[in-house]
Amino acid sequence: MKKKKAIGTMITIFAVLLGLLWLIPLVWLIGTAFSVPSFHMTLFPTTAFTLDNIKYVWNAVPFGTYYINTLILVVCTFVVQFVTSTMAAYALGVLDFKGSALVFAVIFMQIIIPNDVLITPNFMTLSELKMVNTKIGMMLPFYGSALAIFLLRQHFKSIPRALADAARIDGATTWQTIWRVYMPCAKPAYLSFAVISVSYHWNNYLWPLIVTNSPANRTLTVGLAIFAKSKEANMQWANVCAAAFIIIIPLLLAFFVAQKQFMSSFVSAGIKE
Amino acid sequence: MRKKIALVTAAGLLASVVALSGCGGGSNSSGGTSSAQGAAGGAGAGESKAEGGDAAGSGEALHLTFYYPVNVGGSAAQLIEGLCSDFNAENPDIVVEPVYTGNYDDTVTKLQTAVQGGTPPEVFVSLATQRFTMASTGMAMPLDDLIAADPDGQEYIDDFLPGFMEDSYVDGQIYSIPFQRSTMVMFYNKEAFKEVGLDPEKPPTTWDELVEYGQKLTNENRYGVGLALNSGSAQWAFTGFCLQNSENGENLMAEDGKAVMFDTPGNIEALQFWLDLQNKYEIMAPGIVQWTDLPTQFLAGEVAMIYHTTGNMANISQNAEFDFGTCFLPAGKRQGAPTGGGNFYISNGLSEDRIQAAWKFIRFMTEPERAAQWALDTGYVATRQSCFDTDLIKNYYEELPQAKVAFEQIDVAKPELTTYNAAEIWRILNDNIQSAVVGDATPEEALKAAQEQATEVLAEYQ
Repeated sequence: MKKKKAIGTMITIFAVLLGLLWLIPLVWLIGTAFSVPSFHMTLFPTTAFTLDNIKYVWNAVPFGTYYINTLILVVCTFVVQFVTSTMAAYALGVLDFKGSALVFAVIFMQIIIPNDVLITPNFMTLSELKMVNTKIGMMLPFYGSALAIFLLRQHFKSIPRALADAARIDGATTWQTIWRVYMPCAKPAYLSFAVISVSYHWNNYLWPLIVTNSPANRTLTVGLAIFAKSKEANMQWANVCAAAFIIIIPLLLAFFVAQKQFMSSFVSAGIKE
Repeated sequence: MRKKIALVTAAGLLASVVALSGCGGGSNSSGGTSSAQGAAGGAGAGESKAEGGDAAGSGEALHLTFYYPVNVGGSAAQLIEGLCSDFNAENPDIVVEPVYTGNYDDTVTKLQTAVQGGTPPEVFVSLATQRFTMASTGMAMPLDDLIAADPDGQEYIDDFLPGFMEDSYVDGQIYSIPFQRSTMVMFYNKEAFKEVGLDPEKPPTTWDELVEYGQKLTNENRYGVGLALNSGSAQWAFTGFCLQNSENGENLMAEDGKAVMFDTPGNIEALQFWLDLQNKYEIMAPGIVQWTDLPTQFLAGEVAMIYHTTGNMANISQNAEFDFGTCFLPAGKRQGAPTGGGNFYISNGLSEDRIQAAWKFIRFMTEPERAAQWALDTGYVATRQSCFDTDLIKNYYEELPQAKVAFEQIDVAKPELTTYNAAEIWRILNDNIQSAVVGDATPEEALKAAQEQATEVLAEYQ
């Protein structure tokens, strides 16, 4: 009994230490972003507090436009993925039709192909559709998601048929069955996919850089790159941190607010990334 | 780095398969109409109207897309946009749309994708070392005809500092025009010199002096010498040391970009010298110091003499809490230093009027006054002889004499390592240098291995 307690305490201490370790970059980033630039690298700022770094980077790059663009990109992409993936997952997981296994296998294979490999073919398609340098062009290749279909299908499959049958007996249509039975049951899967989709598109850099040309269509990460990738001479850490702070703050806040849901959805969905 | 190259290659391979379906290389019609205004670099200056029909509202104006990487911080992007809007104001029949394309690597990726998608930019800035790749893949066009047709074309080319112009040639033809160029100089801490009884006005001029001074300057809180040996930087410094140790200034590669000379006795000695600085004399930090950390260490007084780019002049002069000096890289058998940086290229396969407009734009961007201002604003070295006759540069040198060293050193500077498939050759040399630095191989073994691997890669270009 005593031993068990000791182990428990040790695990807690270890977890706290690990948590602190994870906190270090964030502390450093915020400290550096809000203090007068210094060439000494220290975890806690040694120079005076200032908002100049934030002001400088905010004015050097049209972050306002980039914010709106990123929000549009992230929200629209997820909404469309939500609809398309639900329908596909229902068809593949619940309906029985000839060749469903093959269709699923083909979709599943897409998970293996890294997105970066598809940059050139996608660009060429968009170029022929005259959609280069448009927001819709930036989103279009992500409107279907193999990962979401896979996740939802597995979840839908685990939902007892009897539930759907009961709904049907009560006179529910297919739409109503999906809406009232399948979707609520698969909430953890939706949540974890939302996290994956939103963070991926929030952080995606190379594809938005390549497919867009004008600042009117560009996203936050492209704004960050102007500072973070300018290292011919030396890293201007204060600016890099200020720009990074501007970019991560919404997701950071979202995480603090919805931490519990994030955790539980990941645990129940059993995936990390 | 390696992963990135693999990805790009993979993307290229995949694309070439898909490309069978053909994508008519029509001229660029996707460029948004940039209306960036205000050279002052107003914040959201880059507001661009969405595309539409070509030249819908602006009469017959010719639209050019211009890809540019930024490597010296946020303000450079604003400067470029300002320059472009100046050009557009001066040339109402041409509209240049500047497109920021990340760093040099991202720019190449975006460029390759755009070329395959049939919408290449008309003008772009890329590393001078990319010229063999640009020529062999047909992405850029030779500029000789344009120069010949320009009334003062030859004069214009002759005005560029030869050290910079040297790496514009592929097979005797000019493929690029110098723009944002740099070289490596030595920064040293004058106060540290005084502290150990060295004359602060007499920096080391030879390798022997470098060692001698370094030994005096090294104590438990400070190293005498600093060199960045990370991948991507080591090959730049190495070019310098090999030039210094060569009999007649032979570079690491043949001028045609088809052969490398890594394992010459002189180069092996040069690499051995690096290891000696670390292990024998113990005046340089062991292991691998990052390029971006070195100036920080110098400013913090942890290293007394560093090899770094002139691009760091502004940073160091603003932040140094001590008197600092700059000097030529110390000579081995002779003086030598590497040049680096990005040049203008014009895309291949453009219509005649677009080529002319692109050329006009390049001439505009490299006018002496403008090139001088660009140098002052960014820390790059001005590229043309006549820049140094401008008051801008004269005043700058008066104010900051340390900046002048870079210009004077161009006479002995040579292009950094480049060949066909330059990215792969860089990787090979960097990997092998690092294996020597961490002690996995002797300098001779490392450079012999590098030579062998590089020769294999270059075999297909013979």
